[in-house]
Amino acid sequence: MARQFAKTELAPIAKEIDEEGRFPWEAVEKMGPLNLFGIQAPRQYGGAETDSISYCLVIEEISRVCASLGLLLAVHNGVVVHPISQFGTDEQKARFLSPLVTGEKIGAFCLTEPNAGSDAMAIESTALREGDSYIVNANKIFVTNGGVADILIIFTSVDPGNVKKGFSAILVERGISGFEVGLLENNCGMRANPVSSIILNDCRLPKTNLLGREGEGFKVAMAALDNGRIGIAAQAVGIAQGALDVSLKYAKERIQFRVHLAQHQAIQLMLADMGTMVEAARLLTLNAAHVKDRGDDLSGPSAMAKLFAGRTASKVASMGVQIHGGYGYSKDYPIERYFRDARATEIYEGTNEIQQIVIARELLKRGED
Amino acid sequence: MDIIVCVKQVVAGDRVKIDPSTYSLVRSAEFSYINPFDLFALEMAVQLKKEHSGSIAVLTMGPKISEEVLWEALALGADRAVLLSDPRFSASDTLATSYVLGMGIRKIGRFDLILCGMRTTDGDTAQVGPQLAEELDLPCINAAEKVEGEKGSFRIERVSDGFREILEVSPPALLTVASKTAVRLPSLIDIQDTFTQYSIDCWNLEDLNADPNKVGRPGSGTWVEGLTPTTQKKSCVFLEGDARQQARTLLSKLIEKNLLS
Repeated sequence: MARQFAKTELAPIAKEIDEEGRFPWEAVEKMGPLNLFGIQAPRQYGGAETDSISYCLVIEEISRVCASLGLLLAVHNGVVVHPISQFGTDEQKARFLSPLVTGEKIGAFCLTEPNAGSDAMAIESTALREGDSYIVNANKIFVTNGGVADILIIFTSVDPGNVKKGFSAILVERGISGFEVGLLENNCGMRANPVSSIILNDCRLPKTNLLGREGEGFKVAMAALDNGRIGIAAQAVGIAQGALDVSLKYAKERIQFRVHLAQHQAIQLMLADMGTMVEAARLLTLNAAHVKDRGDDLSGPSAMAKLFAGRTASKVASMGVQIHGGYGYSKDYPIERYFRDARATEIYEGTNEIQQIVIARELLKRGED
Repeated sequence: MDIIVCVKQVVAGDRVKIDPSTYSLVRSAEFSYINPFDLFALEMAVQLKKEHSGSIAVLTMGPKISEEVLWEALALGADRAVLLSDPRFSASDTLATSYVLGMGIRKIGRFDLILCGMRTTDGDTAQVGPQLAEELDLPCINAAEKVEGEKGSFRIERVSDGFREILEVSPPALLTVASKTAVRLPSLIDIQDTFTQYSIDCWNLEDLNADPNKVGRPGSGTWVEGLTPTTQKKSCVFLEGDARQQARTLLSKLIEKNLLS
């Protein structure tokens, strides 16, 4: 279904929406009835409640054709719907989960700030208690889906003197007084996703909007990211597969030295390496999904999957450009879009280096046999 | 209204591989899908069920791998799926296939309508529907685009030789379907529920109580003697001169080839 949807609805517009930096509402509206906005969400709230393997396959197939919308789904499902399902109160689930799951509303995850990226504890945003409310001030940047998001998880601190102790997650709805969508980022890839900054100026939010308890924000963020990384890994696998698809096609079409590129051994060697890397990244990703479904600790496997799949996407797309030669550097061929899109998967939802820290920590934590 | 829809798993056009010893198709799950014309038939069945209630059974003959298309049909709204599978069924031509499908339908029992896709994108014979109607001694209407009516009688629209024909038929009957309904995609919930709520019945030669001489190669009236790929030759001619001259040359070439009659 996801493959068919991507082929019929996304393939015809992928190039155009990237060039125009346009969020394709006409295609996005068709995703809700297919349950793509609530892939793993509980049935009770309208979700499909699939296992994580199915989740990865859906994200991969969408990203294979259009990485920007793969990103929309990976973020919406992985780091918004999932933590609300996990940490939300019944009231929060009824209020926020139901419209997110149908796709009526779109979710975003706001952690990064101008001075806090990988170093999450450096956030400067604050949520000061005032009666039954918090007064929230925040300047969040690089917010995926930011330009269209209706329900956002904002990471802030209820204790500006001690960010670590006060680190908390708060649910915010677009349009409340003091809420502002900043400028859209002029990114090099994923251009159909409206990544933006989000500014909160003295926003008054009821205490019932707190996701998890006060001081539990880091736990919420890490659980969301551990889970989200599987989705981003699947997205990277999709981009890599898409880059391989278009490279295979081109190698069979283009004639140089009187034979198709595919008949040159130098090209075959590249294709073989690309195919092997994609398959390895896919299996590492599905392994992380399997570990999650089994209920085991996810941090190491999901960090490994994301690290390897992100690198694979970049490497495979770059090799794809090489196979295309000069045409690979032109906007007339889709490989350059894959090349630009791939690079982000090594940066967002934890850079490669952050994944390495997580992986090393997990390895060193293990006792000796 | 009880409807049986016959479906076939076909191989994607650019992935066709032929076994050189048997001249039969090599199937793989990844590049196979439900014959698009059968999807129109299934969609027509789903609409009829919506209007008149009842049930939809989907039926296919093929190797175990053909189960894939039955799961897809279940996700799209069928209530029951039957796979007719036996190594002895392989190499069946359309006649033997119709016999096996007929035996399957006799075992399913009750039905008001049998719907088949008008043709398949691989074999492209358009014979199985009409032959199945013969096998079951049913009235047959080909290339139906629209079906209306209650249990007692169906009003069927078909386009033939530039005319829109309206036909009436009493059930039970067989229609081959040519409508070009937009085909829905199943939602994730539909897919999940299919795998948790349904199973597929698999019947072999003995289950069908079928005559081994009427299936596979022994039961086939035709067989493939040879198979060679064909290539389409295209050539490109550049017209010379200014626009007026080019237009003149083009016009004379079109007239010469009798393309402007």
